[in-house]
Amino acid sequence: MDCKQASSLMHDFLDDDLPHEQALELKQHLQACPSCDALYRELEQTEMLMFATIKHTAIKADDELVDRIMHQIPRQYDRQPFPKWVRRHPALTAAALFLVVMLFSAVSMWDKGEDLVVKTAESNQSQLIIEGKTVTVPEGVSIAGNLTIENGDVQILGEVQGNLTVIDGSYYQASTAHIAGEIKSIDQALDWIWYRISNVFTEVAYR
Amino acid sequence: MIVVEHFEARLVKLARKGEQTAFAELVELYKDKIFHLAYRMLSNRHEAEDIVQETFLRVYKNFDRYDDKQKFSTWIYRIATNLCIDRLRKRKPNYYLDAGMNDQDGVDGYALIPGDDRTPETEYLLSETQQTIHKAIEGLPAKYKSVIILRYLQELSLQEISDVLEMPVTTVKTRVHRGREFLRKKLEHKFL
Repeated sequence: MDCKQASSLMHDFLDDDLPHEQALELKQHLQACPSCDALYRELEQTEMLMFATIKHTAIKADDELVDRIMHQIPRQYDRQPFPKWVRRHPALTAAALFLVVMLFSAVSMWDKGEDLVVKTAESNQSQLIIEGKTVTVPEGVSIAGNLTIENGDVQILGEVQGNLTVIDGSYYQASTAHIAGEIKSIDQALDWIWYRISNVFTEVAYR
Repeated sequence: MIVVEHFEARLVKLARKGEQTAFAELVELYKDKIFHLAYRMLSNRHEAEDIVQETFLRVYKNFDRYDDKQKFSTWIYRIATNLCIDRLRKRKPNYYLDAGMNDQDGVDGYALIPGDDRTPETEYLLSETQQTIHKAIEGLPAKYKSVIILRYLQELSLQEISDVLEMPVTTVKTRVHRGREFLRKKLEHKFL
């Protein structure tokens, strides 16, 4: 065994990676060769010095580092559950979103008007008597088509050939009255929303 | 040892499911080891803290990529050493700092760096022997440094080091040998 070979075996030995037989050969060489023996002693001391010092120097991270890390984690964690649910149920999400939008627009429309609104064909408008919030269809007058009153009361003394719709108000029908179509009285939010929705559909259908 | 590993495996499992406290335990378990590793690699406290933070963030983000057949420690050391090596690579060469500025006489790049008087000696009350060894490690070329630190600091086996650094065991062996030789030369006139 030459000295170069020996030095490589020394490292293997320190790595705990040298078969027993070769370790014995190395030992024989070290006993015979003072320079290799000195080298081995230095390497072994280096090895021990490294293990001992590094382990004994307590280099520690700041305690607040953990807080900092954990603060960054939850923010990402909170964000996740919602998109996951959305991804799993796209149809449900769309339906829910649609309902929410409908509800909001309906409610906002519900709140909008306090003013009296009268919807009917133009030719009829001169025949109606409007006093404050009360709309009167006088006796002997015939309204061609539909009549819709919002935010007001209606008194029917004459004739309505179409449907009568009263929103947020009441209607009074005299004995002389005649209404050819349906009478709808809407004064609850839910009814009103339903009316809006069905209106949208009938409008779309007839357009 | 087996009990510890079992405990750790359970923590990892829970943390992967999003259990916060389990993740906090893992941070507690590994923060000092990762910090020590990064500190030895970079010799800078701020950067080492950054590395610790970044390492745990990556662990958290990439939990679904962790293969639980391998040890958690191997995985987290790999993330941390890769981050350190990247950091070392990105460092501007020192000679820029030494070069004087054109318009201002006598001012060099060092003057622009905020001073950090918290050197390892003052901060950790290192003895002279410890300082000498710290400096010897600091002087190691980067490619030996990671191997040596994993070997002595984390006491990993050659096989584990090769798993962490994703290089053949024979390469790891050569690097340990060269690194050890380097350290011996640095230390021989001082203690040996």
